[in-house]
Amino acid sequence: MKFVLFNGSPRNQKSNTKILLEHFLRGYNRVNPESVPVSYLANRKLKDDHLTAFRDSNIVIVAFPLYTDSMPGIVKEFFEDIARSGISGSKKMGFIVQSGFPEAIHSIYIERYLEKFTARMKCEYLGTIIKGGVEGIQMMPPFMTRKLFGRFEALGVNFATNFGFSKAIGAKLRRPYKMTAMGRFIFSIVSRTGLTNYYWNSNLKKNNAYDKRFDQPFSRKADS
Amino acid sequence: MKITILNGDMSQGGSELSRFLEKLVAGISPNHQVSQFPLHTMNLHYCTGCWNCWWKTPGRCSINDDGSEIFNSVINSDFVVFASPLLAGFTSSALKKITDRLIVLLHPYIELNQGECHHRKRYAKYPDFGLLLEMEPDTDQDDLKIVGDLYDRFAINFHSKKRNMWLVNHDNTEDIIDEICFV
Repeated sequence: MKFVLFNGSPRNQKSNTKILLEHFLRGYNRVNPESVPVSYLANRKLKDDHLTAFRDSNIVIVAFPLYTDSMPGIVKEFFEDIARSGISGSKKMGFIVQSGFPEAIHSIYIERYLEKFTARMKCEYLGTIIKGGVEGIQMMPPFMTRKLFGRFEALGVNFATNFGFSKAIGAKLRRPYKMTAMGRFIFSIVSRTGLTNYYWNSNLKKNNAYDKRFDQPFSRKADS
Repeated sequence: MKITILNGDMSQGGSELSRFLEKLVAGISPNHQVSQFPLHTMNLHYCTGCWNCWWKTPGRCSINDDGSEIFNSVINSDFVVFASPLLAGFTSSALKKITDRLIVLLHPYIELNQGECHHRKRYAKYPDFGLLLEMEPDTDQDDLKIVGDLYDRFAINFHSKKRNMWLVNHDNTEDIIDEICFV
């Protein structure tokens, strides 16, 4: 069996997707020590190599961040390349979609597309792992990411054993599907303190851009 | 009214979509201001996820290409047409490339909208939009529902509304012009 991973994050080696995949592979390699190649779709000069890696594989996982409610443009281009190549069938395909928004509801719409795309390529669909609230994990202290990384590691262990995603772990990663009434209430209270924007404000201040945060450079007033 | 057409056609020759758009523009332009963007032939790069447009140069994209011309046109339009062939079951990568970069028109702050987290507005008003699609030979109703639903989700994030989804050579250009211009 030839297993390959595709990292579809435009942030390439600096991506949160890479971090999640590293934990997944740590778990995978605990069961199967064979190295798993990872192709970075942001390296568009290697488009032909990506297609070759896909063609030569039996099992594929494509992982990407949610961009405007679906796959980033570079991932869509990869899907178009696959469809155009005529390579299809006798592969198993799974997906990992991570988002900055905390709720899974944002990603369930692209999940339907991914299942349909897999069927269109006449491949077997392994499912889609959805995980929200991933933006900022590179700034978080270890106690805040321990559970998340542990779950991705367990997902990797399970994948190496069964060549499929664990439904139980997948279900846990999807939480919350939507914010609860209590969650919305707490959010509305906390947002009044400005704490919900802490991540954005700290980066705006670091870049000396805080005072410009509400700029509207394309408003008609700005033109005149 | 001002109408922006983002044309995601990626074919080399004249496609059904581009011929259809020509007829559409001919019908609209005598009475309205139309800006057309043939995305595949323009100098446009993919979003790199740097988020400089949110926290370094708020509202401005760091990529120096034709993007700014499109952002300016979109946010100052009354209506936007997202036109694209379906490729591998979704709108083209040429269209997705610029759609990803429309986050420059939003603010990073999160607010609750319909009980969900979404980004707040940067501008006071956002244009409604329509989808104009050219089907693939194997396009079915399920594909159209998936694409339509995904653009409905985009509409929530874009503080906008997907008013219509039209199909090249199935819908009539006169009807589309009415739906765009006389709402």
